[in-house]
Amino acid sequence: MNENITLTELLIRYIDGELEGESLEAIKNSIRLNPAVREEYDNLLSAKEAVNSFGLKKQIGALHTEMMQELKEEGIPRIMPARSILRRSLSIAATVLLALGFYTAYQYLFVTPERLFRENYQPFTIHETRGTNASALEEAYKKSDMEGVLKAFKNLSSPQTQDFFMAGNACLEIRQYPGAIESFTALQQSNKLHDTHFFEEDSEYYLALSYLGNGEPGKAVPIFEKIRSNKSHPYHKKVSAWLMARLHRLEQGK
Amino acid sequence: MEIKRHYTDVELLQHLRTGNHYDESVRQLYRTQFSMTRAYIRQNNGNDADAEDIFQEVLLTFIELVKKDRFRGDCSISTFIQVLTRHTWLNELKKKGKSRLREEKFEKAKEITGMDISQFINHREMKAQLMQMVDSLGDTCKKILLAFYFENLSMKDILQLTSFENEQVVRNKKYKCLKSLEQMIAGQPNLAKNLKSILSYE
Repeated sequence: MNENITLTELLIRYIDGELEGESLEAIKNSIRLNPAVREEYDNLLSAKEAVNSFGLKKQIGALHTEMMQELKEEGIPRIMPARSILRRSLSIAATVLLALGFYTAYQYLFVTPERLFRENYQPFTIHETRGTNASALEEAYKKSDMEGVLKAFKNLSSPQTQDFFMAGNACLEIRQYPGAIESFTALQQSNKLHDTHFFEEDSEYYLALSYLGNGEPGKAVPIFEKIRSNKSHPYHKKVSAWLMARLHRLEQGK
Repeated sequence: MEIKRHYTDVELLQHLRTGNHYDESVRQLYRTQFSMTRAYIRQNNGNDADAEDIFQEVLLTFIELVKKDRFRGDCSISTFIQVLTRHTWLNELKKKGKSRLREEKFEKAKEITGMDISQFINHREMKAQLMQMVDSLGDTCKKILLAFYFENLSMKDILQLTSFENEQVVRNKKYKCLKSLEQMIAGQPNLAKNLKSILSYE
């Protein structure tokens, strides 16, 4: 009995790494040569591993209790499986595309000249130039006093090209479309008469907008088409394919 | 709730192996992985209580694999834990007799994880039996064995935890406790035969 206990102790000390020298070699040989010793050694080793597993289980158990409490209090983070995330993302993308499609269809089918005017009109701004004395009309325009612009314009005996241009824009700003059309047309006639080109491209664009605002898309379309076909026109980028499509839709509606 | 990922996979593995920042690493695994486990189990005939138990078991298995250097990061930790979850839960359902789930091929898991985890999944019952044996040792034996083998405390430190007279008495008690456990294992030949593969994941 004593021998067995002694052998067991030796095996345990061997497992614990506490044997040296002859004792170490002796137990190694016993394990190698004696099946019963080998079996006991294997079982003792497994017992040691089982203790480690048990310890880990206890350690994780304590953290488990703590974390379950934390997750319940704070709300378990919603981490969806990747497949659900993809499905949800595709669903959202499809909904957005569908909504965009409906919006686009609405914009196309229910287009009006007034809506197109509002979407595309931006007031013309005059840049400051040093060393020149601004006219009363120009001063009024810079102050956005459009009524003042038109009043000053009426007092002019010989309006210049820029006067026609500012008057036309002043009319546009206060939605007096017929006045705008008259001013821009007069500008173009003046250019033609004097073989000049002052504000020619600008007046083309704003005249087209004036026709739109005045509910005459048929007259606006040729001007916009001319601008769109000329890549060097300063207003070329403002006349998109989408605008043209809606303008043609307006034409078809007439 | 915002998920704060403090450690990368590489850092997590290192912490689990070395014990540095161990508790925080385990907490991070709970915060980042539990909801996926719960979602999977809910979708497959389980409830929240099942999810909690399975996740704890999965995490335990994962950490043991890491400590024994059986998981080297061939796939992400998240992927591996999901694979462990699927197989552990499938095994649990089989045990409960709920075999409505389609059989999953373990070979598929091996492709993803680079290792065959089917064996230690199948040995769950034997491992549970082994844990019961350790638990049945008694408080003093468990205290001494855990302090020595799990916490790596010296005999001097363990003496402070007990009411024994000296270190030799503690040593003798340790021998007897380990021998008791060994005899319990020897008394279950089938368990003893498979124990090596169960505990070393070979």
